[in-house]
Amino acid sequence: MRPHRRYRTFLFIAAALLLTVSVLSLSLKRAPILKKVEGMVVSLTAPGLQGLHYLGRMVKGVWEGYFALLEVRQENTALKRRLEEYAQKEVSYQEALQALQRLEGLLNLKRQLAQPVIGAHVIAYDPSLWSRCAMLDQGQDHGVKTGMPVVAVEGIVGRVVETYPGYSKVMLIVDRNSGADAMVQRTRVRGILQGRGTNRCSLDYVPKTADVQIGDLVLASGLGGVYPKGLVFGTVSAVNKKNPGVFQEIEVLPAMDLSALDEVLVVKVVNLAISEK
Amino acid sequence: MTAPFLLFTLVGLGFFYLQNLVFFPNVRLRLLALLIFFVALRPSLALAVSVGLALGLLQDSYAATPFGLHLGTFLVLVATARFLRPRMLLQKVGSLMLASLAALVIQEAVWQLIMTVSRGPSLPPADQLKYHGLEILGTLALAPLMAILVKGLEAALRRWGWRPPREGALSVSSEL
Repeated sequence: MRPHRRYRTFLFIAAALLLTVSVLSLSLKRAPILKKVEGMVVSLTAPGLQGLHYLGRMVKGVWEGYFALLEVRQENTALKRRLEEYAQKEVSYQEALQALQRLEGLLNLKRQLAQPVIGAHVIAYDPSLWSRCAMLDQGQDHGVKTGMPVVAVEGIVGRVVETYPGYSKVMLIVDRNSGADAMVQRTRVRGILQGRGTNRCSLDYVPKTADVQIGDLVLASGLGGVYPKGLVFGTVSAVNKKNPGVFQEIEVLPAMDLSALDEVLVVKVVNLAISEK
Repeated sequence: MTAPFLLFTLVGLGFFYLQNLVFFPNVRLRLLALLIFFVALRPSLALAVSVGLALGLLQDSYAATPFGLHLGTFLVLVATARFLRPRMLLQKVGSLMLASLAALVIQEAVWQLIMTVSRGPSLPPADQLKYHGLEILGTLALAPLMAILVKGLEAALRRWGWRPPREGALSVSSEL
């Protein structure tokens, strides 16, 4: 390798690493320019993702509603047409029923929350294992702001960490950077619910003397002012008191599969409370 | 260099869409990392860095980590590829996989190091490390296919008139 080429490679890599360090330090200072770049990348790529997402759902619907019945046609051509019609209707009814149930659940939740909400669809996830976040199809233009909590029928999903004109980014409660004040419903024992990066959270800083059992519901305590008080984070799936130290190890399973979200609600105001029924 | 940059970036975008719409959440693979690594094994360093920057920005925009972290680790992959390129005989599948493994492990180590520095001295949970290990192994299995894809795309670009920058005597080692 010629010397100047070798130096060029090192210079190139050094410049690239310098750029990375600069971007990282700007990121830690929350520089607006980076937010603009990020917003631009999301605005350029998310519509394709959104379009493909809807196309995929449509193709899946057609597949499940039509092609799955091809074998029936072979068995009985005469009955096939009617069966197809019924199957199509059944799929439509089932889809409508499921949508109704989901929306009914969201409506009940909306009534429960003492604050206005924005309905949103999850259109994308960060596919890497390094962070757990989702992209919503509602953004600044719809009134979504950074810090707003995001909930689903089953419980808390996460909170908005970035907003763009038409989209917003939600950090899920299982992300390693996510932390919230939580309490065990049965005993009112409090701790910090910390994301573990996988599909689990941990309830930290709970003394070994505290009564926590597998199956206990873990709720938002309302302290910290991010998540609505009383909403469900998940259930205790493991308790370990044999570890060294004064605190027990508690594993919490989120109330829903956070990798398969569809409709969610963005709660418009921080510092919330569930209305008393 | 615009045509290869656009082509490889679009391929990366396609992988990102594929991961998001088809693989997620059941299959986790580092397809973008592998793509960048193999692009960096080709002669043009400028192409590898620019594709790494573009795909790093893409991944950073969808992640909840500090902006620039994916970008940084992608550039680490480029640096690793450029380091290994003249030192290993990368024509054989075994060498390719070994080099890919080294690159992915270094990428993971740099990532964990930066996260540990930024978050304080807390080790990642053991189950998370296990999943990351499985992700790396799964990605590794696709290394030969990715090498063929990158080489095929480069051959197609050559047919359309693109010529990579001239290489010195060691360029033989980069032929996959």
